[in-house]
Amino acid sequence: MMPMDRRRFLKVTAITGTTAALAGCGNPENQIVRFIPEEELVPGIAVWKPSVCPLCAAGCGVIARVMDGDAEVFRKGKPGVTRMALVRKLEGDPAHPLSKGRLCVRGQAGVQVTYHPDRLVAPQRRTGDRGTGQFTEISWDEALSLLVERLDAAVAAGPAQVAFLSRPRPGRRHELVTEFLRRLGAPAPITFEIFDDAVLRRANELSFGRHQLPTLDLAHTRYLVSFGADLLGTWNSPLAHSVAYGAMRHRPGGVRAKFVQVEPRVSQTGASADEWLAVRPGTEGALALGLAHVILKAGLRPAAAAGRAGLLVDGWQSGLPAFTPEAAERETGVPAARIERLAREFATYGPAVAVIGGASLAQTNGLAQALAVNALNALVGSIGTEGGVSFMPQVALPVAQPRVLPEALASAAPQVLLLDDANPMFSAPPAWKVAEWLRQVPFIASFGSFIDETSVLADLILPDHSFLESWVDSAPESGAASFVATVAPPTMRPLYDTRALPDVLLDAGRRLKQPLTPAMPWQTFEEMLQTAATAEAAPNATAAARAAAPPAPTAWRAPVLDGSVGEYPFHFLPLASQALLDGSLAHLPWLQELPDPLTTAMWSTWVEINARTAEQLGIADGDIVEVTSTAGSLRAPVVISPGIGPDAVAMPVGQGHDTFTRYASGRGANPLAILAPVAEPETGQLAWAATRVKVAKVAEADGSLILFAGATRERPDHTKGRG
Amino acid sequence: MAHRWGMVVDLDACTGCEACVTACHAENNIPTAGATEAARGRAMHWLRVERYWEGDFPDVKVKFKPVMCQHCDNAPCEAVCPTYASHQTDEGLNAQVYNRCIGTRYCANACSYNVRFFNFFNPQWEKPLQLQLNPDVSVREVGVMEKCTFCVQRIKAGKTTAKADDRELKDGDIQPACAQSCPTGAIIFGDLNDHESRAARLTHSPRGTKLLEDEGTEPKVTYLQRQSWNEPDTQ
Repeated sequence: MMPMDRRRFLKVTAITGTTAALAGCGNPENQIVRFIPEEELVPGIAVWKPSVCPLCAAGCGVIARVMDGDAEVFRKGKPGVTRMALVRKLEGDPAHPLSKGRLCVRGQAGVQVTYHPDRLVAPQRRTGDRGTGQFTEISWDEALSLLVERLDAAVAAGPAQVAFLSRPRPGRRHELVTEFLRRLGAPAPITFEIFDDAVLRRANELSFGRHQLPTLDLAHTRYLVSFGADLLGTWNSPLAHSVAYGAMRHRPGGVRAKFVQVEPRVSQTGASADEWLAVRPGTEGALALGLAHVILKAGLRPAAAAGRAGLLVDGWQSGLPAFTPEAAERETGVPAARIERLAREFATYGPAVAVIGGASLAQTNGLAQALAVNALNALVGSIGTEGGVSFMPQVALPVAQPRVLPEALASAAPQVLLLDDANPMFSAPPAWKVAEWLRQVPFIASFGSFIDETSVLADLILPDHSFLESWVDSAPESGAASFVATVAPPTMRPLYDTRALPDVLLDAGRRLKQPLTPAMPWQTFEEMLQTAATAEAAPNATAAARAAAPPAPTAWRAPVLDGSVGEYPFHFLPLASQALLDGSLAHLPWLQELPDPLTTAMWSTWVEINARTAEQLGIADGDIVEVTSTAGSLRAPVVISPGIGPDAVAMPVGQGHDTFTRYASGRGANPLAILAPVAEPETGQLAWAATRVKVAKVAEADGSLILFAGATRERPDHTKGRG
Repeated sequence: MAHRWGMVVDLDACTGCEACVTACHAENNIPTAGATEAARGRAMHWLRVERYWEGDFPDVKVKFKPVMCQHCDNAPCEAVCPTYASHQTDEGLNAQVYNRCIGTRYCANACSYNVRFFNFFNPQWEKPLQLQLNPDVSVREVGVMEKCTFCVQRIKAGKTTAKADDRELKDGDIQPACAQSCPTGAIIFGDLNDHESRAARLTHSPRGTKLLEDEGTEPKVTYLQRQSWNEPDTQ
């Protein structure tokens, strides 16, 4: 494959006119130019430069509006003021196949990462005890010699003495890190993100031979059933799927598509559904099999689907006798008649597609749930068809071993830990004992731009550029039908004494006593991006993976939860926050002040409780409750919600940071901190929705729940509006 | 003919994702109030997403509705302003002249839509967050009322660019920040006097409604109601 086929260099340069003030003066280029700064920027004239948003794993292309301005910088150990090109706003890249000119709420706020007041401006060395947050600024020379000294010692001590912990972000940057570690003799990077859908990847590998998240062709779908996937909010590639959903809803003159959302609590995505279906948490798979039962029994299977499903529905000749609508009703709580109607609609009004994600997979039966939904798709012939589900073509880039974090930690006792943006001290359940593990690592170096719960434990901090100041790339695994890889140059010069992580690794590699063998073939990350990927282009599908006797989709069993029903009556449902995602964006003030779509909560955390349950427990809106599991307890204000069942409580992830900049520290509570360490047995992934809790009121409303007051006058609480 | 700017929001496509809300903050230099002031009801969102719950669990429905200044033809805020800070422009924008505003807040009280926001403080951006400011939009000071402008700076820039290129404005040349970011394309902006514009055509959609229409404010924002799915005729 030619290098240029593998990536697209985005060249989007548009010049727009300016300002209210200049508008009356005709052509803006005729304005008197005070002085021309770097990069031939004309003062007051915007230039658009492409970049890639790194805030989630989707890898959307963005464009940055760059104009000149005066910035306080910190370079070469000295502060100063300089006139330079500055990014003012981010928009979706109209030429990018994922974003198509649109941008999600979190991507819009990405510019605040670069201009955050608590960003580290230079390398830091720890001076106080670990965790006290006492650091002192040092030069890059000193920082690099410290790092190299420790790496030298670790390499001398044995092969596996260096560990690298990051978040899953497939692309060339990850490839460079992997190559560096391989040449060092160290194991591949460990990646960890709480809402990473590893269970679904494994299910897709078993069902379809693709260790990958799916892409939905919503623009052509006529019947969509989502089992708990927040596909328009936070799940998978939410922007690309939202853009496709827009096409589904705007189909000119076409037949309206039906969207059914099945979940235990109304999500932001569920709010858009034509039909919302409450289901007991962890029983989504039984519903999928119930639908399949009806389709088989009534002979509703579309003719086009026959012969396409193959292995997936082999063994279904008997018609899934264990999953009659009545049996499915007992498991799921969905009335049998409704299951029959949905099955008939699903099989009749295709192209139909089913999708599963989020809390449905974070159960002990998560894999079986996903296999059931995959088989349902195969049954109606929606794999790889128009309006169905497909897998984005991939180049076989080196991917981290799918080791789960606790296993990876147990098997490693490194001398040196390199930390790239992962924050397991916040997002791992306490039972994984990440703190204890980190305590016994003699040397921790972080590349983060901020002090968070994990990097505060570092001995050395080597701050990376922000993404707007770096060469960036992405190799998305989903979101479009065709292959996408994106590379973009920096959109502005770095404000501070920071260095790009890949370049720091390359530099450190050159300084090692025992040189890397073979030496890294590139001097800089930029140079690497000019070359083709080292891996050969290869189809991701592997027959071997599929042949390994996938468990039958009928192997569905009810989920096993931590905590007894008697003592802990409520199913605890953590959820990805629309604004703060998994908490990694809690430091951005725009997102903190964003009213939650369903509750209008800002700057705070809350527990959603069913109205009847709240009445029984004597809880009013805003009251403080204690939520207790076998693993711990937390306190948070209550939001009484009509969108959650009487036997579940939900809580957004994102707040509850001890240490994460002035905007997030000491605010709200972290639901991940009371999760029991329950795992999906085959993949070992954390079943983060498999904890039971009890709830008790501990105090009256104390004002810690902050709601946005604005509403039109139809709302009765208008009188409580802005003073 | 003069332009007459208007907007259509397709509630069938709106997913309540709030990309428009952050886009509006970024474009219009809207101050962040912070937790303490937000708790006092002083958070500023020129554009907010409202939600309407219907029914009880488990037969429950939620509908989202993005609400911004409706740029009324018969705007209650304009009649009560003693200094003409709040007034109607030739192009139908309900404009706020910050330099005239003396902060009586009469307009906010008169507004049926609760979309006017008062600056209780001088806005602050903790350094270097001021670098994110849009140089095309003035920063409002303490004592001044502010609200959605339909991104008037983008309207002016669009006209300037068209003039520089020696051509007429085309439908779609001008997009407010909310419409540009909207992932599903639910917000459509355009010239209501240009009968071929998408916004003008959709304004007359049978699904179109105006917010609090009975108050006679004659808003220039039209909401296209959510549709429901009915089983197709299978004959």
